[in-house]
Amino acid sequence: MSSDLNKLYSETIRLHNDSPFHFEKRTGGQALKAYNPICADRFELFIENEQDKIKSLYFHGFGCAISKASTSVMVSMLEGKSSGEALTTCRRFLDSIDQKISDNRPLPEEFTAFSAIADFPERYDCATLSWKEMKKFLESKP
Amino acid sequence: MAIPVESIKSRFPIFALHRELVYLDSAATSQKPQTVIDTLTRFYQSGNANIQRGLYELSAEATRQYEVVRHQVASLIGAGNPKSIAFTKGTTESINIIASGYLKKKLQPGDNVVISAMEHHANLIPWQQVCRQQKATLKVIPVTGTGDLALQELDRLLDSKTKLLAVTHISNVLGTINPVDEIINAAHKKNIPVLIDAAQSAGHYPINVSQSNIDFLAFSAHKLFGPMGTGVLYSSEPFHSQIDPFIFGGGNITNVGFEQTDFMDYPHKLEAGTPHVPGVIGLGTALEFIEQLDRTATVDHGIALSVYFREKLLALGGFTLVGRPAKSGSIVSFTSETIHPHDVAGFLANAGIAVRAGHHCCQPLLDSMGVPATVRVSFSVYNNQDDVDKTMEALEDLKKFWA
Repeated sequence: MSSDLNKLYSETIRLHNDSPFHFEKRTGGQALKAYNPICADRFELFIENEQDKIKSLYFHGFGCAISKASTSVMVSMLEGKSSGEALTTCRRFLDSIDQKISDNRPLPEEFTAFSAIADFPERYDCATLSWKEMKKFLESKP
Repeated sequence: MAIPVESIKSRFPIFALHRELVYLDSAATSQKPQTVIDTLTRFYQSGNANIQRGLYELSAEATRQYEVVRHQVASLIGAGNPKSIAFTKGTTESINIIASGYLKKKLQPGDNVVISAMEHHANLIPWQQVCRQQKATLKVIPVTGTGDLALQELDRLLDSKTKLLAVTHISNVLGTINPVDEIINAAHKKNIPVLIDAAQSAGHYPINVSQSNIDFLAFSAHKLFGPMGTGVLYSSEPFHSQIDPFIFGGGNITNVGFEQTDFMDYPHKLEAGTPHVPGVIGLGTALEFIEQLDRTATVDHGIALSVYFREKLLALGGFTLVGRPAKSGSIVSFTSETIHPHDVAGFLANAGIAVRAGHHCCQPLLDSMGVPATVRVSFSVYNNQDDVDKTMEALEDLKKFWA
């Protein structure tokens, strides 16, 4: 039992859950809602853009360890990226969760930390909640 | 007196197929006895025909069986007239019928509807939406820190502009058993009709619509060992003519022209289209199952298990009960001081224990209590103390896992 759960709650996930990156409310920029009405996860993403670049990215709210860690990983990876680079990263993360990566380029450890989600399909939404909202936001940008 | 859990449990085939399953989610849906499953199979295998419109034997028999259940339901809830029982898709549809088919035309701008803060979204959103449409106000009886209704507020909330009071019998999050008689008396003193959401209570807890003067009662079959997709709306006789059809189509009319249609009387006017016939007949079988139980002992069994669960949980430490209502049934909500409810429920799932995590369709209630989500366990006739003990062992492991 515990070995499966140890895979699910990988070291990276536990670290990001215990000490989430940029976990605070911010004002001044744009705020995105990443809500899952089924399990009551509710995060807000605070984005400040400078021209085409994500100048700062913070998040705050309430969610399970998987959703919190996944949002924390996302925030730490996307800050400083251009919208195009950020969108590519979002797509790659979601493809990795969906096991749809067809090339041989190595995946960052922050992505592979979530690979056990494949064995816990009921936690899929936890891992993808904030990434999907961010992807939608970036795709809607002119 | 204790109930024979093992012999009752043996009537539910799911536990033979999932031997290790600890099912603590009966508030979401109960498991089904073999007899109910057999009824569904038998209907499609040997009795399948549409009701009411056939002159042949199969159709006549399907109609007869369908109508018999109206009598069974009437007897369950103490309704004198079986014609007061309408079959619906479930509690949600039953409440929507009263909101759209009865209340909407009565609500004028400035009127109000009173509900409580512990309502399931199904007993909140229909009223909220109809109030918005009619420029009326939705007023809310607050819930105390213990998870009881703040009934001292009731008299102030009910006024000459109140057109309906809708309240749940038993909270699906806190387990609170509300004093419906007291609530109904307060409303009736001001001539306000009352709807009782009996989703968590019907079939399990005694409820008598005649003795309690209930105007409208809504519940689902699937929470009382019956099939999904089938429910009941009880309406007392004075309201039969005041409820308009909620959906339109075949099966609920007496005369149709291109200009206008005449509808059948209640309850048939609410049953347009082909209903879930085997579902209704299966509900009848579920009621037969319930009749074989010692009802008082069954209620006591559920309460005893939740009391035992609460004691053990508090002894374990690290967990907080959400609500300690004065009178509560077989539902307990709790949170961990450090672990998110979803992670708790996922851990329990991995140990073969089925519980629910989230806001349980009661987001405003949890918001008002300052709790984003809870873990909820709920007990039924097939649960015993072993199930609680196994859950405690798993929660102990959970604490170690996250230490």
